[in-house]
Amino acid sequence: MIYDANAFIGKWPYWPIRSSAPSQVVGELEGWSIDRAVICSTRSVFVNWEDGNVETEAAVRQYPTHFTPFACLGTLELSHVLPRHTYDFADYMSRGFRGVRLYPQHHSYHLLYEAFVDSILEDAASRGWPVLLPLRIIMNWGLPLLDLSVMEALVIRHPRVNWILSGINYLYELQLAISLMRRFPTVHLETSCVMGYTAIAKIVQQCGAQRLLFGSGAPVQHGAAALSKVLHAPLPDSDLEAILGTNLQRLLGEL
Amino acid sequence: MIVDGHVHIGKSTRLQIAVDGAALVRVADAMGFDKICCTDLTALFYDMHEGNRLLYEEMQKFPDRILGYASLHSTRFGQEAIDEIKRCRHDYGMHGLKIYSTPEVSIAESAMIPILEICAELKMPILAHTTPQECEYLMSAVPEVSFIMAHAGAQPYAHGDWNRAIMVAQRFSNLYLDTASSAIDTGFVEACVAALGATKILFGTDTPLLDPWPQVVKIRETRLSDEDRKLIMGGNILRLMGVAE
Repeated sequence: MIYDANAFIGKWPYWPIRSSAPSQVVGELEGWSIDRAVICSTRSVFVNWEDGNVETEAAVRQYPTHFTPFACLGTLELSHVLPRHTYDFADYMSRGFRGVRLYPQHHSYHLLYEAFVDSILEDAASRGWPVLLPLRIIMNWGLPLLDLSVMEALVIRHPRVNWILSGINYLYELQLAISLMRRFPTVHLETSCVMGYTAIAKIVQQCGAQRLLFGSGAPVQHGAAALSKVLHAPLPDSDLEAILGTNLQRLLGEL
Repeated sequence: MIVDGHVHIGKSTRLQIAVDGAALVRVADAMGFDKICCTDLTALFYDMHEGNRLLYEEMQKFPDRILGYASLHSTRFGQEAIDEIKRCRHDYGMHGLKIYSTPEVSIAESAMIPILEICAELKMPILAHTTPQECEYLMSAVPEVSFIMAHAGAQPYAHGDWNRAIMVAQRFSNLYLDTASSAIDTGFVEACVAALGATKILFGTDTPLLDPWPQVVKIRETRLSDEDRKLIMGGNILRLMGVAE
């Protein structure tokens, strides 16, 4: 099974894309031979994370065999309401969510200075929920970036979290990811933005294949192109099988 | 014929590359590429004379496989740079020029104009790591030169803005877009072809910085006519370089 650790539903505000509705995304994934994908709605990133989670939940109800929902969480403090102080993880779980995504670069908060971040991460760690932390949302040089040193500091502060590093491309970005994977057994890396020459094989050489997860960035990014770098990596079939699906299944408790 | 129009040879610690022609030809063989268009990293970032000579030596080892881009590391070497371009064209048999622009030292300046003019005269296409805005300046100055915007805007200094690259390429008949990029956005190639036609899109991989597979697949998986695909995958760059298929 090809299981995608990083896909989306929803509209893309920067340029037109051909697929945004859940049914269209399912069609794209099937066309690219991707069987199942972890999703969140881009509404969560660009408009309101709670509203986006409702969209994600609805999409998963509609396509339960194609989608796995991650809750996109952000600040509780908005201009028009007093801050609340808790996230209802039990409610997210009852609604089917299986992990968390954070997009601080799109949500105007700092990962190290906001108490709610620690609250989310401690709860996620206690439940074993993976937390996807993107350096960038897709591989585009113009979109907002996290500071690599902030990513590293957050992982060091919360080593029990099952991290999925995302949005990592090449050179020093990849070196940081590999360094974190080598230091912390809870750190995983999804491949949607990994574009370096023979990068997949290099990661496996240095960290093993068990914490590398195929990710596409679909439907904004091209699923077949994202898949090709894994399929053609010079690795044994057992490693490819792990990267393409079983690692994520194990992380989500599906095995 | 498949021609990779964007390949690097030589050494660069910054880009973590150290590769010779034999290694690149092995990659080309594995990928099914007939020819590769190479630029030497020493010439591009340090010493044009040394690097272009090194590339020439590699071209001699693989005359049917490696096409050479002469490279300049700066616009600011005046006649020395012009003489180097002529040497690369006439003595080394190179077919194009590669140059790199950065925010610190932009090539969109008057010193670049004679370089554009000599390349137009020698019919050498220029592959430039540059931004759409810089292309507007350069193409307005010398519209007759064949100019290839490396990465089609999808590179850091151009803020990844391939949409703007397309808009600018619509304004200049001799401005072409190179597809090599970390960006693998769905619909990118379709948008380029719809706006510009297939004759203005050139396939490249940026090997050995990038994995060539996504670069191939993002074109292979695009709905294109066979004719358009052939142009993008090699016909266009050979035409611009004046190389027979």
